[in-house]
Amino acid sequence: MKRKLIAAVGVAGMLMSVAACGGDDGDSGEKTGADGFKGQTLTVWAMDGSTPPGWTKDLTAAFEKQTKAKLKFETQQWNGIQQKITTSLSEDNPPDVLEVGNTQTPAYAATGGLADLSDLKSEIGADWTEALNASSVFDGKQYAAPWYFANRVVVYNKKVWADAGIKGTPKTRAEFFDALETIDKKTDAEPLYLPGQNWYFFDGLTIGQGADLVKKDGDKYVSNLADPKVGKAMEIYKEYQAFSKAPKDKDEATPQQAEVFAKGNVGAFIGMGWEAGTAIAANKKIEKDIGYFTIPGETADKPEGVFLGGSNFAVAAGSKKQELAKEFLKIALSDKFEGALAKENGVIPNKESLQTNLSANPAAVAAAPAAAGGGTTPLIPEWAAVENDPNPIKSYMTAVLKGKSPAEAAKQVEAEINKRLAQSS
Amino acid sequence: MSVQTERTDTGTAAAPGVRKTDVTPPGDTGSARRRGGASAPYLLLLPALLATVILLGWPLVKNGVLSFQNLNPRQLILHLTEWRGFDNYTDVLGGSDFWKVVQRTVVFTTVNVVLIMLLGTLVGLLLARLGKRMRLLLMLGLVLAWAMPVIAATTVYQWLFAQRFGVVNWLLAKAGWSSMADYNWFGTQISTFSVITLLIVWQSIPFVAINLYAATTTIPKELYEAASIDGAGTWKSFTSVTFPFMRPFLWATTFLEVIWVFKAFPQIFAMNRGGPDRLTETLPIYAFVEGPGNQHYGMGAAISFLTILILLGLTAYYLRTVLKQEEDEL
Repeated sequence: MKRKLIAAVGVAGMLMSVAACGGDDGDSGEKTGADGFKGQTLTVWAMDGSTPPGWTKDLTAAFEKQTKAKLKFETQQWNGIQQKITTSLSEDNPPDVLEVGNTQTPAYAATGGLADLSDLKSEIGADWTEALNASSVFDGKQYAAPWYFANRVVVYNKKVWADAGIKGTPKTRAEFFDALETIDKKTDAEPLYLPGQNWYFFDGLTIGQGADLVKKDGDKYVSNLADPKVGKAMEIYKEYQAFSKAPKDKDEATPQQAEVFAKGNVGAFIGMGWEAGTAIAANKKIEKDIGYFTIPGETADKPEGVFLGGSNFAVAAGSKKQELAKEFLKIALSDKFEGALAKENGVIPNKESLQTNLSANPAAVAAAPAAAGGGTTPLIPEWAAVENDPNPIKSYMTAVLKGKSPAEAAKQVEAEINKRLAQSS
Repeated sequence: MSVQTERTDTGTAAAPGVRKTDVTPPGDTGSARRRGGASAPYLLLLPALLATVILLGWPLVKNGVLSFQNLNPRQLILHLTEWRGFDNYTDVLGGSDFWKVVQRTVVFTTVNVVLIMLLGTLVGLLLARLGKRMRLLLMLGLVLAWAMPVIAATTVYQWLFAQRFGVVNWLLAKAGWSSMADYNWFGTQISTFSVITLLIVWQSIPFVAINLYAATTTIPKELYEAASIDGAGTWKSFTSVTFPFMRPFLWATTFLEVIWVFKAFPQIFAMNRGGPDRLTETLPIYAFVEGPGNQHYGMGAAISFLTILILLGLTAYYLRTVLKQEEDEL
């Protein structure tokens, strides 16, 4: 008896452990707005940090006044976002509007889950900056609308720098290294907080070297990590990383680098301007000590290359509130709110004419000089798979930081990158 | 039936003849009643079977179907069904990654189960030897460890072994091992596995210990007396009295632990996400990373199906013994 029972328990447990993959749920039943949009709720997925409080409040008020519908923002985290978006787009009742990262937009456009916004582009997008709009276009159609862009800057602690006796901010990479060296010698602060896997910064260095992470081989894309220029970029990263005690196998979000910085014992970190807000939220006292400068390049006349991160707004093809979603985009991307977002978050707006909003934001002022030399990962649908955890670019970085030569490390991850680039969609 | 009949079931094999006196004679009225309520046991089984079919059977079938499909974001979002035949399986079985992971999973399971059974048995025997108060205390500790939610426990271990502010590194440094002050436990395969093993062993000792303690309570005292009269020492009375009684329990718990360790997902995944460099991915994690992680759901389903087969293979010996016994009993 007992043995039978145990066997039954065992088999049940075993099955439970390994079964189950996929599934579907969700219910529909949204009335389309024949008599206005009253009674409807528009759900918008925005990424962590994208929607500052002032902007969100004003925008919600304006939207609700104009459409009589309700607006609901749901904040998402970047880690694991692709799986979440895929699943939500497959459901009967997806979020209506989604913020999608520019490097991931082509992949979603290719899945057919995003609505065609070509008519919106002709209506309000005539002067969207061409380069910023590139990621939203796939197969000649507009699948998203450019929302904002941003590049990294050096966020530094003025007090630590003053303690070390440094005046002014560095204009070249060599000067920056000197300053970090001085902080290391003269204070007991950690000169720079840079974990081993901040691959956005590494991508910027790659762009600075004039190289790309992938290259075209015939009609398909393959890893370009073996390129000596990429290796050079990684060597520079390694020089930077030597000034930090941060783990070599973690990225800038684990732990949040701004929160480490907020403790006051770190000279600087490389991050988005708005990360200063995260630091201030963690420690109010740090606010007066925060300063920004452009990541310096090889020479004083040309700042370091940067990864031009950005986000687009897309509308789910499965959303039953297409009209309302477009109304939202018209308001959110209007000069008024696009300008307000630029001002509050220090991000580059989607039209050049709105850049005047940045002059009051010190982080944006520091970011602006580098933006011209910025770039992105290749805007191809195949790219997004490379970013999936565990990201082979991150593995490459850790390998080099732990002593492998860039060529060896490239060899180690190339097969994985090529496999992911070759995945059929 | 009472507990006593079950005891003889396990006991007769070990000490034939000795325990006859314990058996409760079967009731005379039994046969008449049995015929009337023949369908009752099946009716009573029904709810459990139904739950199993709905919660396990259906997902299993669904998973099997998925494993023959090409299901990526595009197919998922547009609700397309694209059949791939056995391509998912040939892709998985043809790659070297899968076999490496299988090997790793088997080694990981073996090491953990051996440690768990060894330490768990020792603790179980200790429980049997302790006085009332100490036994209660130890029991309490075991039950608390057993009751700790998996993710909470994993998080605590992560903190204990944290590179910068972890207690373990701090202690090691205090104890004079200064090179460990900034040691990154999650930087290499071996050290990550060590922490995970420690966690898993710690989590499963209570189950084994309490189970075996329960087993020892079924051993009649007279047997030990008889053994000592025959001149058996501690070791001899362990091998010829205690151990035979414990054997079926040891078998059953080993079997359950193999399953439990083999399928361990949250501990390993939450600890370091199968890192560094995918070196601590065991089969369930591999299936998750390749399936939902890389959004190749068909591939993930194929891997998880193969995982079930491998697990069945690993536990086949025990399952066969159990099934054979059942046939004998019929």
